[in-house]
Amino acid sequence: MAIVNLHNVTYKYPLTETPALQNVNLRVKEGEFVAIIGRNGAGKSTLCYTLAGFVPHFFKGELTGSVEVAGMDASKSHLHEWVLNVGLVFQNPFNQISGAKYTVFEEIAFGLENIGVPRDEMKVRVEEAMRLTGISDLADRSPYSLSGGQQQRVALTSILVMQPKVLVLDEPTSQLDPIGAREVFGVIRTMAEQGMTVVLAEHKVEWIARFADRVVALHEGKIILDGTPREVLTSDLLLDKGFGISRYTSAARKARELGLWRQEQLPVTLEEAAEGFALTPNASPKRRCESK
Amino acid sequence: MSLNRSFFVPIDSPLHRLNPLTKLTFVFAMIISAFLSVPDMAPALAVLVLLTGFIGKVQRQYRTVLLKLILPAILFMFVMQSVFLPGGETILIQVGRFDVARENVRAAFLTVSRVFVMVSSFAILLLTTHPSKLMADLTRRGLPPQLAYVIISTLQILPQMQAKAQTILSAQRSRGLDTESTFLKRVRAIVPLVGPLVFGSLVEVEERAIAIEARGFTSPRAKTFLYEVPDTRADRLIRWTLVIFTLLSLAARIWLS
Amino acid sequence: MRIEIKDLHFTYPSGVQALRGISLTIESGEQVAIIGQNGAGKTTLARHLNGLLQPTSGEVRIGYWDTRRYSTAKLAARVGYVFQNPDEQLFSRDVHMEVAFGPKNLGYPKERVEALVSEALEMTDLLQKRETNPYDLSPTWRKMVAIASVIAMDTPIVIFDEPTTGQDAATIERIANVIRVLRERGKTILTITHDMDFCAENFERVIVMSQGQVLLDGKANDVLGQEEILATTYVEPPQLTRLGKRLGFKETVRNEEEFLTALQKRWRI
Ligand SMILES: Nc1ncnc2c1ncn2[C@@H]1O[C@H](COP(=O)(O)OP(=O)(O)OP(=O)(O)O)[C@@H](O)[C@H]1O
Ligand SMILES: Nc1ncnc2c1ncn2[C@@H]1O[C@H](COP(=O)(O)OP(=O)(O)O)[C@@H](O)[C@H]1O
Ligand SMILES: [Mg+2]
Ligand SMILES: [Mg+2]
Repeated sequence: MAIVNLHNVTYKYPLTETPALQNVNLRVKEGEFVAIIGRNGAGKSTLCYTLAGFVPHFFKGELTGSVEVAGMDASKSHLHEWVLNVGLVFQNPFNQISGAKYTVFEEIAFGLENIGVPRDEMKVRVEEAMRLTGISDLADRSPYSLSGGQQQRVALTSILVMQPKVLVLDEPTSQLDPIGAREVFGVIRTMAEQGMTVVLAEHKVEWIARFADRVVALHEGKIILDGTPREVLTSDLLLDKGFGISRYTSAARKARELGLWRQEQLPVTLEEAAEGFALTPNASPKRRCESK
Repeated sequence: MSLNRSFFVPIDSPLHRLNPLTKLTFVFAMIISAFLSVPDMAPALAVLVLLTGFIGKVQRQYRTVLLKLILPAILFMFVMQSVFLPGGETILIQVGRFDVARENVRAAFLTVSRVFVMVSSFAILLLTTHPSKLMADLTRRGLPPQLAYVIISTLQILPQMQAKAQTILSAQRSRGLDTESTFLKRVRAIVPLVGPLVFGSLVEVEERAIAIEARGFTSPRAKTFLYEVPDTRADRLIRWTLVIFTLLSLAARIWLS
Repeated sequence: MRIEIKDLHFTYPSGVQALRGISLTIESGEQVAIIGQNGAGKTTLARHLNGLLQPTSGEVRIGYWDTRRYSTAKLAARVGYVFQNPDEQLFSRDVHMEVAFGPKNLGYPKERVEALVSEALEMTDLLQKRETNPYDLSPTWRKMVAIASVIAMDTPIVIFDEPTTGQDAATIERIANVIRVLRERGKTILTITHDMDFCAENFERVIVMSQGQVLLDGKANDVLGQEEILATTYVEPPQLTRLGKRLGFKETVRNEEEFLTALQKRWRI
């Protein structure tokens, strides 16, 4: 069953001429973890807004095609209904503070207060979410006096804690330290395994390759590739269009020219790269065939 | 103060433990009585408010607000009104070309007392009331959350603006704008500050709107609250006393006039 | 221009001890990357270099200037600082005004200001957007405006606080190019980053911070190979460095060229 269903979606922001999304078709199954990649301005954030109902409910403009998420239809429902089912972590980590709270703990509880979660459950959930994202020690700090990465973790936690059916994340690890970013990917992976549907816009292809089920490449508002991480991340089309690819893939490409990468497949993860590069070039089946 | 963008001082004191509505009632009781009752009431209330400030264990912060914000303002008002206001018969002294009349001094003293009561009682409320608790309490009593949010934001507007101004000044200094070496430069630095401050605040309003929307703020479900905000019998007693006091002070005015 | 930091401690008014004894010297014309976990104190350190923050104890010297004796406005002639959060840095009505603000304040002649602004806009690909209000740009473009507005000041020291966050590969390459150009001009550059590949490919010296202190400081190859120590501050070596380790390379490799050379050596080609 598809929990996200976009059909021929085209969207234009007010006062702009070219559509930010053009004929987008996207179906996501329940519990699937889909990563969106694309260059700056490709339309990733716009797609995230659309999935979370902010387009067209908050950003006006022109939307055509049909948007159905978690049983709601964009043309019929209200934004507050969307928020109960779909959580959105915005791209800019610095302006997601509610402005009404005194500590990080209260800030994270804010969403739960709004949707009427009982107090005892609220406390448990906030603590658990803070533990997951590694910010338990910030509980009593002011949300205004945090480092960039800490602010981003608070923003992420504030949405995670609401346990939406569909979680939409717009570059949620951009300010995080390297291991922290990997861990957040891990947390998201776990949530997906527990049944949450995740759509994530990101540039970190190494972690996308390792954690996502599926990758969608967006270019100038259109989906140009949609498939498994391996299919998409090793595609020549990505190179042509100037997407970023992992160092493993690009090193293997160069090595292939030098006869040092013998496998059919290009690697997308560290494990695959380590395995492939460890093969003796001479002993590889292809070389033997050729030399006969 | 700008650190948390709120005046609130997170400690425990009798005033901190009072229900937010009780303190709000106090503020309005004081203001209404000071402005609408008999003139002699205002200075007495000023003393009362001043003393209340010292129950809160926020004396240090209260003193800062008093010295930096309230005192300069009321001194200025006092001088303006007593010296520069024309009219008045009983001349006390002469300052340059201006006559200082007893009537004007009395009027100035009254104005200053009233302003002091207003600003000071608000300061006490803000220093001792946790913003989320105020919001929780008002919402629980049936105030629409949007309105409660606006009230909270308004009460925090000074520290918010101060923090924002500080941010812009830091950015401008980092790019070579001299905003502090001489008095003239300080004054001149206000000009490039105003535009971004106003524009930035507008942008922030929009960003806030979207940020709280994403957290379900407009959800029609009944809200719950992280903190229990106790409303004790003492609270209710104080509130009723304040209400009766206000009514009496209004009655006094009608009676005596 | 030289930067000298001696036993620098800093505690925020809220009581958070952000820096706990930092001593560093950065020579004129050096390019240094600063890495380390969230909250390690990188930004706090950077804000000391142009006087936005004053040491609780210890001292910071920019050239011979002690930052306690010079205002931020004065220090701006020597240190350009690209803030981590562009929202905190930008305040002008359009991109051109924003970029011209710094060089104008530094008192450069009109022609020089114009030349610097044009060059900065070109290097950051902002020429088309010169009349746009920075607030109407996406966060990634705002960051580019922040970069342009600092490089236009033509200061001997430039600090970039996480310049590549959220940027696509092409823009990261553009930023790397900005850094190359500044290097050729002999600028001293400090870059705070969480992007280890960017760090490895563009910097010779790397400083690792952890909990307000310097954990490691040295040549990129030496520092980036120390996987266990880096992990204590939540840093992972760059992709190819990790791959090299997995493959059992003896030397630490940190870019594609070094990786392929090591690979060839291994198979004796
Ligand atoms: N304005 C502030 N008031 C109080 N504490 C602060 C303030 N800014 C930062 N801190 C705290 O100081 C410590 C160091 O923060 P800093 O911003 O220097 O970290 P950082 O290394 O730049 O982290 P990041 O990689 O997340 O940007 C953190 O614990 C942070 O929460
Ligand atoms: N609020 C907005 N108003 C008008 N145009 C916008 C707005 N937000 C984004 N755009 C435009 O829509 C296109 C897609 O942008 P965006 O979704 O932000 O891309 P990405 O997230 O992939 O960088 C870009 O051309 C951008 O300029
Ligand atoms: Mg985006
Ligand atoms: Mg930082």
